[in-house]
Amino acid sequence: MADQTIIRFENVTKQYDQDPAVLNDVSFSIERGRFYTLLGPSGCGKTTILRLIAGFTEPTKGNIYFHEKVMNDVPANKRQVNTVFQDYALFPHLNVFENVAFGLRIKGCKNDEIKRKVLEALRFVNLVGYENREIKEMSGGQRQRVAIARAIVNEPEVILLDEPLSALDLKLRTEMQYELRELQRRLGITFVFVTHDQEEALAMSDEIFVLNEGNIEQSGTPTDIYDEPINRFVADFIGESNIVPGVMKEDYLVQCAGKNFDCVDGGFNRNEQVEIVIRPEDLEITLPDQGKLRMKVDSQLFRGVHYEICGYDQDGNEWLVHSTKKANVGEEIGLYFDPEAIHVMRLGETEEEFDKRLEAYSEATHAD
Amino acid sequence: MKKKNGLGPKIYLAIVFVILYAPIFYLMVYSFSSGDKMYNFEGFTLNHYKEVLQDTRLLIIVLNTLVIALLSAALSTILGVCGALAIYYVRKLRTQNSLLTLNNVLIVSSDVVIGASFLLLFTIVGVKLGFVSVLLSHIAFSVPIVVLMVLPKLNEMSPTLIDAARDLGASRWDTLSKVILPFITPGIFAGFFMALTYSLDDFAVTFFVTGNGFSTLSVEIYSRARQGISLSINALSTLIFFATMMMVIGYYFIAKRNQRGAGMGVGK
Ligand SMILES: Nc1ncnc2c1ncn2[C@@H]1O[C@H](COP(=O)(O)OP(=O)(O)OP(=O)(O)O)[C@@H](O)[C@H]1O
Ligand SMILES: [Mg+2]
Repeated sequence: MADQTIIRFENVTKQYDQDPAVLNDVSFSIERGRFYTLLGPSGCGKTTILRLIAGFTEPTKGNIYFHEKVMNDVPANKRQVNTVFQDYALFPHLNVFENVAFGLRIKGCKNDEIKRKVLEALRFVNLVGYENREIKEMSGGQRQRVAIARAIVNEPEVILLDEPLSALDLKLRTEMQYELRELQRRLGITFVFVTHDQEEALAMSDEIFVLNEGNIEQSGTPTDIYDEPINRFVADFIGESNIVPGVMKEDYLVQCAGKNFDCVDGGFNRNEQVEIVIRPEDLEITLPDQGKLRMKVDSQLFRGVHYEICGYDQDGNEWLVHSTKKANVGEEIGLYFDPEAIHVMRLGETEEEFDKRLEAYSEATHAD
Repeated sequence: MKKKNGLGPKIYLAIVFVILYAPIFYLMVYSFSSGDKMYNFEGFTLNHYKEVLQDTRLLIIVLNTLVIALLSAALSTILGVCGALAIYYVRKLRTQNSLLTLNNVLIVSSDVVIGASFLLLFTIVGVKLGFVSVLLSHIAFSVPIVVLMVLPKLNEMSPTLIDAARDLGASRWDTLSKVILPFITPGIFAGFFMALTYSLDDFAVTFFVTGNGFSTLSVEIYSRARQGISLSINALSTLIFFATMMMVIGYYFIAKRNQRGAGMGVGK
């Protein structure tokens, strides 16, 4: 698999002047043909990573490799990556055709080759017939597609997209999410996509990097990250979740809210303090004495697809439930969940340690 | 919505314009008077115009003025664009603001001061007063104007545009010539025409730095007017006025064409 790696960050730190580091000793690699998402709250360093890959800034420490060659000092115009900017950055003095043709003209391609490639790129983004339009005559969604066409026409190995959908309305955004993903599959080019919208990240990515304050908290497939967040930040940031303190009695048995529950996690010390995560949609409303837990409904919100029910158990833990069934405020209800719904998080565990533990205890399970 | 545009504003505007333009029209009318005084219109004649057109000294001066104006406008546009780019590329906001203030001081400071200081400078350095000294001083007072016209355009440009050009493989020169310059072209034109008009009608600075044997129109008119009023000056002024009008109209059309942003291809 190593030869599939296109870009590799090795202990990259980025610091402006005397400010605290914007990126903190970040390492990751990016492989051919996959869809990556950088996800994190505002100011966590997503754009900085893209700018480092594109070559608009240089790392303070560490190395960036491109096909295993150090790229730190290679200027942006010599890199095999193209960027779709957040504000699209289309050239206002050029029409659609010339915008898309810009990179090819710089390279000195022949006119008929330029024409062929530009029209093909425009066909890819469904903009045939718009060649002669001025940029200001295009709608937001169309501009975005021009920006994508301008990037793909150069046949780069990697395309970087910095929150390209954030300026669009919800409906167009959903549409473009499909289109982008579809486009990436057809082209087979690596996409590195930046967003702070977790649903967007989950829907589109092969692999997600969750960033926080200049660190990669966790990376993995959308399901990995959603089902097995390694810490409170990731659990909270990726979707809504119930996070309650608990004690690991033994492998596959956790105690919380005064009760013992079966679970599927292991590799902990006996009686270790942990946090457990249960997603609100994994909680099922039952009659009070049929559930594994009892809670008193405190508030309820109709969200369209489901009801969002909030309540407290006897120990005062707050629980959030997503259910298509309605409950009544003040009512006592039971909550049922499967052992698989429980995810146990070790306090202060890094991603590496998490992976090691996962490996260790699944080996132990197989040895049984 | 009812249109509630009463006559009031229109009349007010009309009065303002009449007051502004009346002296000019008065002067124009008398350029056709066969008398030699600026009162008592005595009958129509084109003699004053003939006089102007036969006055070779005057025609040479007109030519001088135009050459100085065009040359100084062109050179100061180049220098001004470079200056604006330099200010734009200065990263520190404090330095940027100080540079801009220095630039603006040159614009607001009085012509007499600039003229006198140039006279001093040229005498010290030993530049012969004449064409070169006038040209140099015109360039000097035009550059800040060009900077002032170009810089807002640069600031209006999104910095990601430059990143985008670099990203698409453009070298620094390509970025400048294919993205930045086309973007600020309207500002460059505006700066050029401002410099042109400032140079054409400058009196004070030129008066200081012009030597014997070289003169521009405004200086010449001034010295002729001092010797006693001749209506040929009126004729000359009328001609200048119409030339200026033509330039303003020309500028208007160029500006309009630029606004439509007719796609100037990046083609080679
Ligand atoms: N040129 C700069 N000089 C100093 N600090 C900077 C510079 N550029 C970015 N930063 C800082 O780096 C941090 C990360 O910025 P970055 O743009 O990468 O955030 P982001 O994750 O893209 O956020 P957003 O979602 O808001 O776009 C911020 O705290 C920002 O203030
Ligand atoms: Mg950003």
